Amino acid sequence: MEAAVALPAWRTNLATIGALMARAKNELIRVPGAAIPGVLAPTIFFLGLNGVFGALTQLNGFSTGSYESFIVPVSMLQGAGFTGAAAGVNLARDIEQGWLDRLLVSPAPRWVLLAGTVLAASARSLIPATFVFAIALALGAGWPGLDGLLVTFVMVAAMAAVAACWGAFLALRFRSQSAAPLMQAGMMALILTTTAYAPLALLQGWLQDIARVNPVTDVVEAARQGFVGGVTWAATWPGLMALIGMLVLLGALALREMRRMGR
Amino acid sequence: MPAIVVEGLERAFDEVLAVQGIEIAVEEGEIYGFLGPNGAGKTTTVRMLTTLLLPTGGRATVAGHDVVKEARAVRSSIGVALQEAALDPLMTGRELIRLQATLQGIPTAEGRQRADDLLERVDLVAAADRRVGTYSGGMQRRLDLAAALVHEPRVLFLDEPTTGLDPVSRKTIWEEVRALNDDGTTVFLTTQYLEEADQLADNVGIIDSGRIVAEGTPESLKAEIGNPHIQLQLAAGSVTEAESILAPIGKLLPPKDGRKVLVEVENGAADIPRVVRALDEAGIAVEALELVKPTLDDVFVEKTGYHLEEEGEESAEGAPVEA
Amino acid sequence: MSALATNVRVVRALGMRSIRQTFRRPQLIAPIIVFPTLLLAIQTGGAGGAVELPGFPPVQSFLQFMLAGAMMQSLMLAGNSGGIALAVDIEMGFTDRLFSAPIPRFAIVLGRLAGTAALGLFSALWFLAIGLVFGAEIESGVPGALLAIVLVTAAAMAVGGIGAAIALRTGSASVVQGLFPLVLVVLFISSAFFPQELMIEPAKTIAEYNPLSFIAEGVREPMISGIDAADTLYAVLAILGIVVFGLVLSAFALRHRLRVG
Repeated sequence: MEAAVALPAWRTNLATIGALMARAKNELIRVPGAAIPGVLAPTIFFLGLNGVFGALTQLNGFSTGSYESFIVPVSMLQGAGFTGAAAGVNLARDIEQGWLDRLLVSPAPRWVLLAGTVLAASARSLIPATFVFAIALALGAGWPGLDGLLVTFVMVAAMAAVAACWGAFLALRFRSQSAAPLMQAGMMALILTTTAYAPLALLQGWLQDIARVNPVTDVVEAARQGFVGGVTWAATWPGLMALIGMLVLLGALALREMRRMGR
Repeated sequence: MPAIVVEGLERAFDEVLAVQGIEIAVEEGEIYGFLGPNGAGKTTTVRMLTTLLLPTGGRATVAGHDVVKEARAVRSSIGVALQEAALDPLMTGRELIRLQATLQGIPTAEGRQRADDLLERVDLVAAADRRVGTYSGGMQRRLDLAAALVHEPRVLFLDEPTTGLDPVSRKTIWEEVRALNDDGTTVFLTTQYLEEADQLADNVGIIDSGRIVAEGTPESLKAEIGNPHIQLQLAAGSVTEAESILAPIGKLLPPKDGRKVLVEVENGAADIPRVVRALDEAGIAVEALELVKPTLDDVFVEKTGYHLEEEGEESAEGAPVEA
Repeated sequence: MSALATNVRVVRALGMRSIRQTFRRPQLIAPIIVFPTLLLAIQTGGAGGAVELPGFPPVQSFLQFMLAGAMMQSLMLAGNSGGIALAVDIEMGFTDRLFSAPIPRFAIVLGRLAGTAALGLFSALWFLAIGLVFGAEIESGVPGALLAIVLVTAAAMAVGGIGAAIALRTGSASVVQGLFPLVLVVLFISSAFFPQELMIEPAKTIAEYNPLSFIAEGVREPMISGIDAADTLYAVLAILGIVVFGLVLSAFALRHRLRVG
């Protein structure tokens, strides 16, 4: 029947989320080399973009002469997007292999199951972010200050959560790992159609229009603050709002799909 | 009060009715065997009863709760071991049972204790801290079963618990199921093996193409059929002739393979000489003869017109010998 | 003469199979075309201000400059996917069947590469079309376009040769697939996406000697100015260099495979 000593629901939910996150870390720890792609992709992009487009900072409109400083937050966010999408792929695999059935048959609420996936992705995103950050510092990016660093990492973790909700939504909708490219490409497009490569004024017409309405532009700008100047609340809160908005929207979509499993 | 009540349960997938209007009542403490071939609707039914699938018609209550309206209460009361053992190859056996305990809301310390007890009970202590990916098929099933029991459920659902296992592992699972049942757990199991239903179940429901075609205790079902049949192994090419000779003597049953003739006779062993004499007079050589008492397969044939299992399938089915 | 005719028939048959396979499954082509197109759009939009940089070659538009880079990306991915297809054939045992037939080894690889060449051709046409649609002219007109198409197709095959060599050596599709990030790396350290003089060290120096740079410039020059004999020659030499490299690798790989079985 029920547990001999009944726990209050919030404690059970917390314990469940923790257990699901603990399971998620197994893939990193117990599969050799599993962490590499997630770290490699944003690092390659960072080094590559820097080597190729570094001269752009000579243009008027760049507030910094260091392209490393300019794009490192973008690369960190890309890492977050990749990590979140990977969480979606893992969920699709869990669905295909029947693991999710075990979770669905338990009394755990659906939102708890989703939270486990999403929070695990957030935690995991810190790995590539730290790696890219370290490389950027080594290459001469400016130290963002503790406040800048905190803001950047918060943005990264939250972006990973957004990406995980997106990935989870697709995984639950299509119930197949073949949705993986859509998970990855969606996040990449979202993050790069912003002021990723250059400040807003220097973007070409159509991209400028998109970047203006893209909520992730605010996230990029907020994450970039410490690297190109000082941190202000005025530049931070739009990014936070954007992330919260995306989390609410995509989280709701993903939760809806989770509830519809079997319907 | 009944542990499981199913009334007019239906499930349609697009145009196809996988499950059509089935009625079941399983008493507390009973072992109910759901017997049928692949694709009959067993797994679909189990998924509906375990709240993984919404019925498109009818209703069902498990442990006193409606599967649709009180899904969460149902999930707290049932243990489930599905056909595809839902295991994570990267976890250890111990971790899996502890996770299950957490999912069921059992406090950590108690969950650990129960995990230890259950691992011992299913004889997985030695492998408990190895990854599930290294387990054999039999070990995985035992682990699945142990995990399903961590919260001491009132009703246990086992979907084809021994499919693909070797005979030794199969017997082990059977013993465990009987032990559970002795402790008072209601068991709803699906199977395609008539011996399993015969051996384990208090009540058997035979399902074919989404409908229940027969229900009752194994004994009562077999008694319904009544008559044993004689199985004759003949020389190649003589089957048709033999069948025409035997048709007036008894009722011919569909043959299991091209060299056997099956004929149902009213007087059991006493009719053997008649049969042998008739064939002998026609010059048909009989290579082997067996008097076969009714089995659940016969019940199945009676109700559906075809065999549940091909002869010899039991042994052919076995997986490599488990560790 | 008849031996040559046989070989030609074999290459043609395997080639047709390879081409059919390639285009029969759009979900496999999509990443090779879609991904570079997306990147083209984003990079053109994002870094387009680069045309203002001192030292940037005179171009009609940044898109005109970037088309070559997109083609380079596609042809590299096409080469990679050709290698994957061969590895799948090996895993399935199809190549064993071919090896035990009286067909010269190179015909087998050549046949496989026909699919890669077709993909290279397709991507060259695709990006030329995109250029036309979005207003990027080919300065040297039709001859320039044709030259670009030829170079891209040949380069795709050359890169495919390397992919094939890796496939032959490892016999594993997932290994070949794992090299996909390498494609991007190797392009980033070339002048595929940006003028070499304006790149940042150490990528700048590497790009100066990277054969992919020569190919990219050979494809790009006809688009942004005119056909230059030297650029074209360097591009052809670079492609030949890659071909030779691929052949050598393949020879070693084949020997290893036939020894190991």
